[in-house]
Amino acid sequence: MLRYSGRRLLGAIPLLLGIVTLTFILLHLAPGDPTTAYFNPNIPPDVIEQMRRNLGLDRPLPVQYLDWLRSFFTGHFGYSFSQHRPVAAVIGDALPNTLLLSGISLVLIFVLGCAAGVVQAVRQYSAADQVLTLLALAIYSVPGFWLGLMLILLVSSPVLSGWLHLPISGMVSIDHEYLGWWGRVADRARHLVLPVIALGLASAAGVARYMRGSMLEVVGQDYIRTARAKGLPERRVILGHALRNALLPIVSLLGLYLPLLFGGTVVIEYVFSWPGMGRLLYNAILARDYPVVMAATFLFGALVVLGNLLADLLYAAVDPRVRYDGR
Amino acid sequence: MLATLVAWGCGGGETGGGTGAPRTDSAGRGGTVVVAARAEIPGVNPLVAPPDYFASQIERYVLLMPLVQLGPDLQPEPWLARSWDLRADSSQVVFHLRDDVKWQDGQPVTAGDVAFTFRKAKDPDVPFPNRAYFDRWDSVKVEGPHTVRFWLRPYSQFLFGWTQVPIVPEHVLGDVPDSALASASFNATSPVGDGPFRFVIHEQGDRWVFEANPDFPADLGGPPRVDRIVYRIIPDESTELTELERGDVDLYLKLPPDQLSTVRADTSLDVLTFPSPTYAFVAWNTRRSMFSDARVRRALTMAMNRRQILQTVQAGLGSVATGPLGPWHWAYDTAWRPIPYAPDSARALLAAAGWTDTDGDGVVDLNGRPFRFELLTNPSQTRQDIAVMLQADLARVGVDLVPRTREMASLGQAIQSSKRLFDAFLLSWTEDMVIDDRDYWACDRRDDPLQFSGYCDPTLDAIMDSIPRALDRDRKRRLLRRYAEMVEEAQPFTFLYNQDGAVALRRSLRGVSVDVRGELRTAARWWLVPRSR
Repeated sequence: MLRYSGRRLLGAIPLLLGIVTLTFILLHLAPGDPTTAYFNPNIPPDVIEQMRRNLGLDRPLPVQYLDWLRSFFTGHFGYSFSQHRPVAAVIGDALPNTLLLSGISLVLIFVLGCAAGVVQAVRQYSAADQVLTLLALAIYSVPGFWLGLMLILLVSSPVLSGWLHLPISGMVSIDHEYLGWWGRVADRARHLVLPVIALGLASAAGVARYMRGSMLEVVGQDYIRTARAKGLPERRVILGHALRNALLPIVSLLGLYLPLLFGGTVVIEYVFSWPGMGRLLYNAILARDYPVVMAATFLFGALVVLGNLLADLLYAAVDPRVRYDGR
Repeated sequence: MLATLVAWGCGGGETGGGTGAPRTDSAGRGGTVVVAARAEIPGVNPLVAPPDYFASQIERYVLLMPLVQLGPDLQPEPWLARSWDLRADSSQVVFHLRDDVKWQDGQPVTAGDVAFTFRKAKDPDVPFPNRAYFDRWDSVKVEGPHTVRFWLRPYSQFLFGWTQVPIVPEHVLGDVPDSALASASFNATSPVGDGPFRFVIHEQGDRWVFEANPDFPADLGGPPRVDRIVYRIIPDESTELTELERGDVDLYLKLPPDQLSTVRADTSLDVLTFPSPTYAFVAWNTRRSMFSDARVRRALTMAMNRRQILQTVQAGLGSVATGPLGPWHWAYDTAWRPIPYAPDSARALLAAAGWTDTDGDGVVDLNGRPFRFELLTNPSQTRQDIAVMLQADLARVGVDLVPRTREMASLGQAIQSSKRLFDAFLLSWTEDMVIDDRDYWACDRRDDPLQFSGYCDPTLDAIMDSIPRALDRDRKRRLLRRYAEMVEEAQPFTFLYNQDGAVALRRSLRGVSVDVRGELRTAARWWLVPRSR
């Protein structure tokens, strides 16, 4: 298993190098640079020139590329053009926020999705199944930003906002610094409610559909009939025998959802004023903040690689038929 | 899980440990004002931050102190400088600073800080974005702890730069090498202020928090009435409006016109507007033969229903432009009238310039070439709407306008590069408060990035050159008016409309006064009506 992971990770190095190189080329092919992105008629041209020199944009492209590679291997990723700080610090601010948001969403997606799927499969064609199917389909087809805006309007409606004063934007309340430790945790949690729902609900609906199908397939198998025939309680049949096998295909979804979640945060972070990676990358592209775009792209790429590896490893962990390291 | 959340929800801000946020007392002192803006500011160091409308206001009115401030008539008034002496020939000026102002770390603000700020602004290795402010200021000498002398070459409005660039602390930034100044921790992580408010915390992309400076000099208004200002970044307009309606935001900067009616309908909210130096325009590339004739450019302006455009995209917030000077400016002449909307006269003017529809295809032509051009603009919804309205307006006089949208950085590249690969473009931007438009029209700057139109008129050049040299205000007013009238006559740009700035605020927030000097100018005098519930 270790050897296999090592091989996969080694193989990822040229892939990631290719990704950042391609990003670098594409970024510089796009017209404009950070100074044209400022585009302010009140700045004299010689100051713009000075800015370009300070940012190192007057040097030949290969030199800029090698320079970036060097800063990349020394771990600080260069300096952000727009925030004037090391990129590592810029990302260090935004990444935890996104990890918090998408991590909790991921838990919600799988817990909620699996639970709904199991209920639907066990009570196939019941009213609960029909309602959940309809609901899942509806939620799945709603774009995230729209769901976000509707949630904001819903909790801000006069009826709801009176007894449920949920925050609709930002990460903390304005009195956050005055709260005790538990107060701060609670404050954070309250600010997470809406973005997590907006980010996770659609994916949870998707997982529910997969889970239902997978579960239905399993409960039709001979060994489930055997388990029932042995007189095992229905609870143990479903949760102990059927669920474990039905989860197999869902595990591989986990690896696929990881990068997808990061992509989805761009819109959700915008709507809910959440200062995370999605908004950072979006603003960096608009401002032509090359070092930040490169570093963020690298992170997203690494996440896809890791997500896929994780899915494969988990697959091996839950399915005894799958073995790596060629034995 | 939901049940727990509801429990948290019930208490609102009252639950939680700690001492709780400061609240407004019955006399209307204290409390927290939440200001919402759509974009993060690039930092609060005036020496290196790229020009930013709100960053500059936070620097000047909240965190730091400039030597002088602009009064209601846009003339300089004492601020950090108690007074100043100007030598009769205007070649030297001595500032006498206040001796009762301290940085938030306890150090006094001295003449050394002023000299330091000036030297850094003049340093070629520092990317100070407003170098033009001190172009004609030559040297500085500290003559006492609170006395500083400058040598300069006289010009009009020479103190303007000192109203825009506040003094920064030498004891904090003095040891930072020039190359590291742009990334100094002072800029956005741990600034040290001397203004009516002190820096508390900055969470990148989320909020800046400032607290009242209890030592702010009494004869400058004394300590602010509110305890804290939280400057929040909320990128989405709908979210921003909802926060204001809920009462979680007190002041909403840059209210978009399409939300105006919603805010006006809410009895707990108010809208304040003011004439601003922002205007929308179409720039014609006069290097192209179809736009080289002033009659053609004038005809195109006459064909545009600018009043309707203003009503549609700005909800009427502004005025149809009468040239490069807007109503916000002291030299604006209230007798000026915009070029009228007159499609028939426009057609006649085009015909006089040789453009007629000879082949009957609905598009006027000259020497077999139809009048067809591309109008570049950026992906803003407002600009896209204007472009489509212009397309319809010009079609009525037989001109075929093709709107093209380009993302801002690439649009900037197209119109600024020496090749000038565009016919015309549509943008809106904010003018500096000192009008010096030689970058746009001067003949000898035709190859510089900002001379978009390529227009050249030596007479206009002579007038523009004399404006900065006019020390007398009446003379300067006459020259500015002459300048504006000449540009309006030639129409190298079609000036569409002057935009009014707008803010929305809760009625419980008092003391807010907005004008061309900015929305945050009276921050130290804001106060909150105590909550009735």
